[in-house]
Amino acid sequence: MRHGRQGVDRFAFILKRPIHLIPVLFGISLITFLLLQLAPGDPVRLMLGPRASQEAIDFVRARYGLDRPMMVQYLYYLLNASRGDFGQSIAFRAPVGSVILERIAPTLFLLLYGLTISIALTLGLATAAARRRGRWIDHAIRFLCVAGVGVPSYFIGLMLIMVFCLRLGLFPVSGYGPTLWNNLWHLFLPALTVGIAVTPILTRNLRATFIQQMDADYAVAGRSKGLSEHYIFTRHVFWNSLLPTINLMGVVVSFLIGGTVVIENVFNIPGLGQLLIHAVLTRDYFVVQAVTLILAFGIVITNFIVDVITVALDPRVKL
Amino acid sequence: MDRRSFLRTSALASAGLLTSPHFALRANAAENNVLRMGYGSEVETLDPIKTVFGSDILCQGLMYSRLLRANPDRSKVGPGLAESWEISDDGLTYTFHLIDAKFSDGSPITADDVAFSWNRMRFQKDSAYNAPFQPLTKIEAKDPKTVVMTLDRRFEPFLTLTEIWNTGIVPAAVVKKMGDDAFAKAPVTSGPFKFVSWKPGDRVVLARNENYYRPGLPHLDGIEFRFVPDDNTRVSMLQAGELDVCIGVPAPRMAELKAAGMRADPEPSSVTYDMIVNHSKPPFDSVKFCQAVSYGIDRTAIAQAVTLGTGTPATSIFNPALNYFDKSLPVIQRDVDKAKSLLADSGKDANFELIVNAGTVDEEKASVLIQAQLAEVGITVNIAKIDPNQAWTRLTGGDYQAEMNWWYNETRDPDNALRWCAWGTGDNKSYFSRYNNEQVNKLIDQASGETDQAKRAALYAQIQAVTADESPQVALYYPSWLNAYSPKVKDLILNIGFQFSEIDETSLA
Repeated sequence: MRHGRQGVDRFAFILKRPIHLIPVLFGISLITFLLLQLAPGDPVRLMLGPRASQEAIDFVRARYGLDRPMMVQYLYYLLNASRGDFGQSIAFRAPVGSVILERIAPTLFLLLYGLTISIALTLGLATAAARRRGRWIDHAIRFLCVAGVGVPSYFIGLMLIMVFCLRLGLFPVSGYGPTLWNNLWHLFLPALTVGIAVTPILTRNLRATFIQQMDADYAVAGRSKGLSEHYIFTRHVFWNSLLPTINLMGVVVSFLIGGTVVIENVFNIPGLGQLLIHAVLTRDYFVVQAVTLILAFGIVITNFIVDVITVALDPRVKL
Repeated sequence: MDRRSFLRTSALASAGLLTSPHFALRANAAENNVLRMGYGSEVETLDPIKTVFGSDILCQGLMYSRLLRANPDRSKVGPGLAESWEISDDGLTYTFHLIDAKFSDGSPITADDVAFSWNRMRFQKDSAYNAPFQPLTKIEAKDPKTVVMTLDRRFEPFLTLTEIWNTGIVPAAVVKKMGDDAFAKAPVTSGPFKFVSWKPGDRVVLARNENYYRPGLPHLDGIEFRFVPDDNTRVSMLQAGELDVCIGVPAPRMAELKAAGMRADPEPSSVTYDMIVNHSKPPFDSVKFCQAVSYGIDRTAIAQAVTLGTGTPATSIFNPALNYFDKSLPVIQRDVDKAKSLLADSGKDANFELIVNAGTVDEEKASVLIQAQLAEVGITVNIAKIDPNQAWTRLTGGDYQAEMNWWYNETRDPDNALRWCAWGTGDNKSYFSRYNNEQVNKLIDQASGETDQAKRAALYAQIQAVTADESPQVALYYPSWLNAYSPKVKDLILNIGFQFSEIDETSLA
């Protein structure tokens, strides 16, 4: 049937998208590689310390292939990566793959948790502000949004620790926890901090769209027919307003990912953010490469999911 | 119940669950008798010969026994795995007799294991810190309980060096079977605690070694050595009861912790904070310019500002924790007029670049003070905040004029410290300052072989006087270790050699 064929065509882009992924990842890996190589600093010297002999340094450098010319190193890197071998971590003297696998779970958990909290907060706050526009709750929420954007997340994190961990003893200061239930508890404050960083932008955007849609012609028509505000809002305005904010969320996720690097440090979560900082400071080339690629991959995938949701929500969109 | 009130109730219920006191109690309860330590850098390897990083040094010190054992303030070394020893009359041969002891896996610690551990430390290509052991030429197992070590010259500091962290004894058979890399991640240990697990970026978990050679010890059931990079988070964790030991507390927070009931007193260290100056490049290639800077700064003010009274101003690069420290040597007092005249005599351009490791609060504070103080003398200091890795590369490559730095010594014997920072012909060129004074070089060599205590003291006093005057590095102050302990922790201090050497006698009340 005509409607069915159209439906299938709309989702056809899903198959073509992965091909676009490859040049993006390639470009990112090349740029990261060049940046690292050009930055001054010698990882081997750092690893072996100030009192190591030149002999020891040369030996270890040869072992990691760091004495070869730059482009040769990059070609070897590509070759090995295509076989799933992402090199050795110089600092940890272990394969990069295993180093990353050990730490990816807390970061993923934190990201999803933070995203969930920020979505919940956004929906709640934007709805409250838009429905009761002009009243005190609207002003309060708008003020909170400004504060949330203005105050640095590091500070928010520390304040949350001081109040909820030290004074009230409700949450643990750090770490990840052994079981799933424990994870939710340990990561609540960090996820909240991450969420607070991005919620204001989304809330203001969604609130503005709600207000705009509430004055749209279909809403006016509904009111004139005698439908309640509640019905108009939940059945029509809400769904029509989501799209611009979902698109914004795709952009904002990259801020979320960047935020985890700082937050993992404050709350001492053994994730990729901490690993990345450590790797950059110790010039652990292969780890930085791999983590950057993973994060880039994460952003691309998120944007992809945003596109799929957009197409699913709005039949008019064609990608 | 309609949908809205259902949603509202469930939201309230989950909020309540998440914040219930039940969880709060769990947050602060310590595991029974397991000591939780927090440190700001992470452990990278558990193989004693592969590293010089503080985190590894501390953690490995809890895991491996050495031939000798130090007392808590490291003023003496006594029997460890070696119960007795003889030194030949010419001072070239040391014979150690081993006690009956076992590794954590139950296998006996034999002279072969000791010889293996020492040989790989001294001769393996990637051994990170064999520099202090240059005179050692041979290590041999004479019989299962006797190890003989041969030196190429009389070397007074040797005995005290047999306690430092990288001489930890490892099992030969296990290392050979597993290979270095695998062993470094899951070792078999010889010390009071054995390895249980290591979650990189999080913590190393150790448990009591039932085979530890000292009977009835250790008291603790286990240790968790945790990585907590942020200073403030680490302090918060101690306050919240999530850590028992906070290694490294920012100076301004010590008083607050003490008031909260923690044990937070400065502990003596062998750390010297200094400004390394490049003697091979202008303006510091002139002794007069070095002296001008030395008289131009106010060490007392710098020490007070940075350490808030927990450290003392420096007399020279020779630390008070070292034996033969000359107490009569005065701290060079600030004399702006003298500094100005020395500056004029030197004829050098009155400006230089001072490299500071970005993110190191103490260095940043001290550098700003130095800049202000030298401005009054007429010297312009340009502060360059550079990331530590790059700063290190410039230091080792000689591409700098002045750089902030600090270092400590593992033992109370001054030989190692001096070879590290004032010995011009050594590999590291007087800690890369390229300072080379023939007389000082000779004195250092002479003193390391001098057996007469009085003569040795006189030699070191001479070295201190010369280096105070010529500043291989401009010594600034001697800080203390700033650590905080929960009041439950008994019998634990960080000694001057950066080791918790009495950890086997530590207990939790």
